[in-house]
Amino acid sequence: MPAAKPTSLSGKLTRLSVLVTATGLLLACAAFVTYDFVSIRRALVRNLSVQAHLLGSSSVAALVFNDRVSAENTLAALRAAPNVVAACVYSAEGKPFAAYRRDPASSVPGRVELPTGDEEKQWFDRGDVMLVGRIVFQGHPTGFIFIESDLQAFWAGMRRYLAISLCVLVGALLVAVGLSTQIRHEILRPIEALADVARALTEDRNYSVRAAGEGAAAEMAILVGAFNDMLEQIEQRDRALREARDDLERRVQLRTAELEAANKELEAFSYSVSHDLRAPLRSIDGFSLALLQDHGERLDAEARSYFERIRAATRRMGLLIEDMLNLARVSRAEMRRERVNLSAVAHAILADLRKTEHSRAVDCRIEENVEAEGDAQLLRVAMDNLLGNAWKYTSKHASARIEFGQMRANGSRVFYVKDDGAGFDLAYAGKLFGVFQRLHGMSEFPGTGVGLATVQRIVHRHGGRIWAEAEVEKGATFYFTV
Amino acid sequence: MKTATASRKGENGPNGRGARPLWGMIQAALCAAVLLFPLLASGQQSRPSEYQVKAAYLFNFSRFVSWPATGAGDSGGSFAICVIGRDPFGPVLDATLAGENIGGKKVIARRVALAEQATGCRVLFISASEESRLREILAALDKSSVLTVSDIAHFAERGGMIQFVLQGDRVRFEVNLASAAEARLTLSSDLLKVAVMVRKAAPSGE
Repeated sequence: MPAAKPTSLSGKLTRLSVLVTATGLLLACAAFVTYDFVSIRRALVRNLSVQAHLLGSSSVAALVFNDRVSAENTLAALRAAPNVVAACVYSAEGKPFAAYRRDPASSVPGRVELPTGDEEKQWFDRGDVMLVGRIVFQGHPTGFIFIESDLQAFWAGMRRYLAISLCVLVGALLVAVGLSTQIRHEILRPIEALADVARALTEDRNYSVRAAGEGAAAEMAILVGAFNDMLEQIEQRDRALREARDDLERRVQLRTAELEAANKELEAFSYSVSHDLRAPLRSIDGFSLALLQDHGERLDAEARSYFERIRAATRRMGLLIEDMLNLARVSRAEMRRERVNLSAVAHAILADLRKTEHSRAVDCRIEENVEAEGDAQLLRVAMDNLLGNAWKYTSKHASARIEFGQMRANGSRVFYVKDDGAGFDLAYAGKLFGVFQRLHGMSEFPGTGVGLATVQRIVHRHGGRIWAEAEVEKGATFYFTV
Repeated sequence: MKTATASRKGENGPNGRGARPLWGMIQAALCAAVLLFPLLASGQQSRPSEYQVKAAYLFNFSRFVSWPATGAGDSGGSFAICVIGRDPFGPVLDATLAGENIGGKKVIARRVALAEQATGCRVLFISASEESRLREILAALDKSSVLTVSDIAHFAERGGMIQFVLQGDRVRFEVNLASAAEARLTLSSDLLKVAVMVRKAAPSGE
């Protein structure tokens, strides 16, 4: 049988019941037929023996008084026994005395004898059973009787037995198949229902279905009950999981909303603070200038230098406030995504930087046609900060090199700005992108500490990442994705 | 019977062991065989004579007849088959009956001269010489349970029980059942079956 389809329980049960019934019946029939074969054969021989005895004792007088006709008349009664082929009465010397033949073809032995002491002898020959018996009258051996019977009655009996056995076999098989179908149906219905439910489960992932277990046997009822309990538990857990997830989502949304609100508040606050700080700062600067211009000749040199320092601090504070406002703007500005040619942006920025310090020898290597998807203004601010930093931190070196390009890392496009300037210690990389965080002294490299924070915020708003590699006095490389 | 005994002796002799006594026995056996041979040869090879058959029948009739329990023939411990008148059997009857038993009684042959002497017999063969005295003999035996047999013509008609008749060279017999019944004798149906004729009427007064 090909192993294409696993045989169903139903088929197996049917085969089992038919096999068991057939084997049992065949064995029983074989036993009966064998028993009948032996017993019918034995009965046949016994009947023949009785017949021979009767014939023998009826023939005694004829033998004793040598009356052949009477003996033949006695034997002629065998016409009533169609199974007897031939019979013969023999004298005490074993010579034929009177014979009976059913048909002309029948023959009788020309002479018979029995070993002394034997009363009777039977044997099977030519498909017939033969018997020779001694005729004894009042203790005197008077003669012999021979009788030959065919086995047609025997075979007819056997045929009848076989036919009956066959009928019983077929009938019993049919009944067994019928009964087994009934019982099988009862046993299998819950199993098949269970199998259907299990199939529906695996196909639809619907754990709300339940197996029907009514009318099932005790074991099946337990199985169905356990199965349904299991489904119930799975469903409960599913529900609990879904509830937990929903709850979590709700809480995350709540927290996010709270955070966003707090962030907005903070931004609004810092913006308004920065904005409002400018007016008093302008007053300080303006009145300091007015004091110097209108009353400068009345002040000594020391006082004038103090005023200059006030003004310098005021300007610096103005720059800080400007950067703060820029950072706030970067966070608040509307994003418009488009294709931006970063190479062109880099060329423009470096050209501006050259104009301010045209004496510096800086080797600029810009990869052409590097494009990114993002907000043109924000990306320009980011590039401005990164290239401005590169320009600033290479200013202490006689000759410098600034590179811009792109590369592929982990399947995504990464842009980078590289210089061979002052660099920094990677141990402080964590502080790199914090607001007002500076790794160099003000006197060494001027700056407010807002630039890289701005760049990071822009990159984050584009959904990208920014990181750096650096070594002191060997330069730094900033990588970012958008 | 005798045949078998004799031939067996002749066969067994040479197989025995021993010296003088054995040789003597062999000699005796050989002598017996030589002496008996003519008789055996005549008995076996030629057809039996009429009276040999009749003698055997006399004995065989006895086997198919039952006598009443307290019959006259019970005297003595033997079963007598008697012959009255001139004996046609000679030694044949004695030879036939030798060693036979009926109902545990030894069968013997007796010759009687008078009917009165025959009441102790079980079977009485009435010789043809007694034909003239038949009526007296039968009357003398009246009610004494003796099976009367004879080859006198019309014996069965005249009150006898079994009469031999000859059919060609075969010996057969007629039965008068009424006579037998009068003498309280029961004849087996097997015997009647092989009889030539069975008379059931009472004997006709002659």
